[in-house]
Amino acid sequence: MIEDAGFVGVTFSNKVDTFAQADGEEQARAFGTFGYVIEARKP
Amino acid sequence: MTDISKPPAVDVEQLRAAVGDIYRGVAERPDAGYHFHTGRTALAHLGYPSEVTDPLPDAAADAFAGVANVFEPGLPDRGERVIDVGSGAGADALIAARAVGDDGAVTGVDMNESMLERARRSAAEVGLTNASFEVGLIEELPVEDEWADVIISNGVLNLVPDKLTAYRELFRVTRPGGRLQISDICVEQEVPEEAKRDIDLWGA
Repeated sequence: MIEDAGFVGVTFSNKVDTFAQADGEEQARAFGTFGYVIEARKP
Repeated sequence: MTDISKPPAVDVEQLRAAVGDIYRGVAERPDAGYHFHTGRTALAHLGYPSEVTDPLPDAAADAFAGVANVFEPGLPDRGERVIDVGSGAGADALIAARAVGDDGAVTGVDMNESMLERARRSAAEVGLTNASFEVGLIEELPVEDEWADVIISNGVLNLVPDKLTAYRELFRVTRPGGRLQISDICVEQEVPEEAKRDIDLWGA
């Protein structure tokens, strides 16, 4: 997806438990929803 | 992770309206209770260091609703030009503005006027004249080609149905050699097509 737009060197950080202890935690767990920092570069 | 290469069949205008309602609510009543963390609680939960969040005005920090610390890989360098896509109340944009200094510039773009008002008020409160905030959509950013050294965004791309179009727009406004540094959520389980078409679940 990101490469399809032209970016290169796409990396994902370790996942972040974004919704832990939030009201939406149960729903997030149901889909395995986590936060990430995504980096890429324009050549 | 689920395949997001094809835009799901949702009504884009309906989705924008639903997302707008949620984040207008966050802007106007940030402590009302949402399914995600907000404010300084969220900033601390996501690991933002206090040395960058303590200087933030309450108007920017209280309505923060990001999903990960977009500066975990590092702050932008002095003199760089940054676009914050979906800048919300301006917390990330103002952190970036302080990092790039007077020789740099930050443009925050958001579709929500209530959030933009908070961001502009916050920038004025702390005297960050190198930060500006414009109304706009991620698919049509009000920025010239190849303007930015760095694109940041926090919890926004997951709310956009046509992600390839959005990433192509980010590519357009990034200079050659520039970089993308965005926080977002991804799902590890396959999301049923029926759920992808459910507008209510996009904000849930």
